[in-house]
Amino acid sequence: VSLIHINILIAFTISLTGLLIYRSHLISALLCLEGITLSLFILAALTILNSHFTLASMIPIILLVFAAREAAIGLALLVIISNTYGTDYVQNFNLLQC
Amino acid sequence: MNLFTSSILLTLFMLTTPIMASSTNFYKSNKYQHYVKNMTLLAFIISLIPTTMFIHTNQETLISNWHWITIHTLKLSLSFKMDYFSLMFMPVALFITWSIMEFSIWYMHSDPNINQFFKYLLIFLITMLILTTANNLFQLFIGWEGVGIMSFLLIGWWFGRSDANTAALQAILYNRIGDIGFLLSMTWFLSNMNTWDLQQIFMLDQNSSNIPLMGLTPAAAGKSAQFGLHPWLPSAMEGPTPVSALLHSSTMVVAGIFLLIRFYPLMENNKPVQTMVLSLGALTTLFTAICALTQNDIKKIIAFSTSSQLGLMMVTIGLNQPHLAFLHICTHAFFKAMLFLCSGSIIHNLNNEQDIRKMGGLYKILPFTTTALITGCLALTGMPFLTGFYSKDLIIEAATSSYTNAWALLLTLIATSLTAIYSTRIISLTLLEQPRFPPLMSINETNPLLINPIKRLLIGSIFAGFILSNNMPPMTTPLMTMPLHLKLTALMMTILGFILAFEINTYSKNLKYPHPSNATNFSTLLGYFPTIMHRLPPHLVLTMSQKLATSMLDLTWTEAILPKTTAYIQLKASLLTSNQKGLIKLYFLSFLITMTLTLLSFNYLE
Repeated sequence: VSLIHINILIAFTISLTGLLIYRSHLISALLCLEGITLSLFILAALTILNSHFTLASMIPIILLVFAAREAAIGLALLVIISNTYGTDYVQNFNLLQC
Repeated sequence: MNLFTSSILLTLFMLTTPIMASSTNFYKSNKYQHYVKNMTLLAFIISLIPTTMFIHTNQETLISNWHWITIHTLKLSLSFKMDYFSLMFMPVALFITWSIMEFSIWYMHSDPNINQFFKYLLIFLITMLILTTANNLFQLFIGWEGVGIMSFLLIGWWFGRSDANTAALQAILYNRIGDIGFLLSMTWFLSNMNTWDLQQIFMLDQNSSNIPLMGLTPAAAGKSAQFGLHPWLPSAMEGPTPVSALLHSSTMVVAGIFLLIRFYPLMENNKPVQTMVLSLGALTTLFTAICALTQNDIKKIIAFSTSSQLGLMMVTIGLNQPHLAFLHICTHAFFKAMLFLCSGSIIHNLNNEQDIRKMGGLYKILPFTTTALITGCLALTGMPFLTGFYSKDLIIEAATSSYTNAWALLLTLIATSLTAIYSTRIISLTLLEQPRFPPLMSINETNPLLINPIKRLLIGSIFAGFILSNNMPPMTTPLMTMPLHLKLTALMMTILGFILAFEINTYSKNLKYPHPSNATNFSTLLGYFPTIMHRLPPHLVLTMSQKLATSMLDLTWTEAILPKTTAYIQLKASLLTSNQKGLIKLYFLSFLITMTLTLLSFNYLE
């Protein structure tokens, strides 16, 4: 409802769009993924602090843990792709099929 | 206050002086060799003083001067035990080393590193003396390892030759296997008697001394080339002849026997170990005598002869006669060193030819060497009243008239006759008949550096037995009476061997050379022992370790079971269950368009 909420929702939408539309590098998708998780985290934290809903104040922390794991896995995939292809251009992805 | 302790310490110190002089400029001059030789001569003369005092008054000494370290209750100090064995051995060893050094001035004359050679010989002599005069096992071990190291350096003297390197490594490995037994005994002595001093070991009469003696026996077997640990000795003939004469005939190989002799108070109460030593010695003496019969390298024949005599010494220890074994050590040193020096003279004069099939007719050309060689061979076989007689005949008499294992006795007697046979082989193939070497050889033996050592050792070979056995104080009751046929056993076996050898020699001289029979192959290839044992166990061990450690543990258990299997299963499963084509941008775009259309339609359609 409030402007801050809309601000964060717009940030979320922009990151989502960036995740779904990326040109050539895989790492930009991962970066947008980070943006998504960040905006979600700030949305959740603000709402909970605003409504003094103390019982749910562990939700942002758990969210942060999962975001970190996700980033790590994404980077591991990036490293493997970079090992096999040398770059992370997405046009290479369907070249080597098994 | 007499000269005893001072003479001993002076002897030992004098021998270290040329080594200390090796860092100066004197080391590079030509006089260094004569200096070393003279030092050994002086050490010999000075060491005669304590020996004479011992013979006269039976005075033994224990010199314990420097307390090195005390670890808990173990006190280690630098102590020298001058008793019957070490006092008798020192002059003999120094005399022989003096003669060998004089010989090697002539033999190694053209070698550029001759000064280093002399330094190595001297370090070897010092470590051998440390071994014989050691009072505690730690010092003995220092000497033990020292002679092993010097043997390695001297066998591999011509290290450009790969055979010499292999032989040196072989010597070290076989000695090391024996050292395991030595360390076992040292540990047992440390944990059960709390000491490494010989006095305390002999004082504390333990119930069963099986374990340390079982440990000392492989140590002696490794150092003295008994059966099972013997191939290094014939391979050690890759070294120069002075090395073979010093190390592998007189001094180093008797170190193992000397160790067992030192421990005779423990051995005389332990029948099983005596029997083991007896059997091992009998087996060794026969096996190496068989191997010596068909060798073609003169140095290898003499090496096997040494090995056979060492087996005989082991037999003597097994008969509970350590003093006879020691007498045999001293007398054997003389004629064996002389045999090696004669072979060195022959080899050098024939332009480094060592194969006896290419020698012959040296009887008239090298008269002095011929004399020495024949005398040495006769002393070796135990010709009455030469040196070998005084020890070897006594050993055979003791063997035949003691309550002992008949099999071991039989083997020893057969080996005695084989000794005569291969001695005849050496003499007839190198000295007699027509020459088989190329005609243009400049053969002379006029150099006094060659003649004088052989002359000295010749006099020693003839008289030393008499002198030693008349001057050595008897420590055991000698054997007084025995039946006539037992007394003549050794002589009969030797004469039998000679007759057999001469017969075979005469009737096979003019025939066509036969293909070697199976028995000849067995004997020439040393009973197939090196062929089998040097290849099969290492191959098996390495294959087993490759299968177990690399293939099984590393590759399979820690690499292929979980990680690679998981990856493989995942890959197969994902390929099986998915039919995607990896067009990521298309998928993302379609997702985005779907989301946008949904949001728009839900916004405008209420």
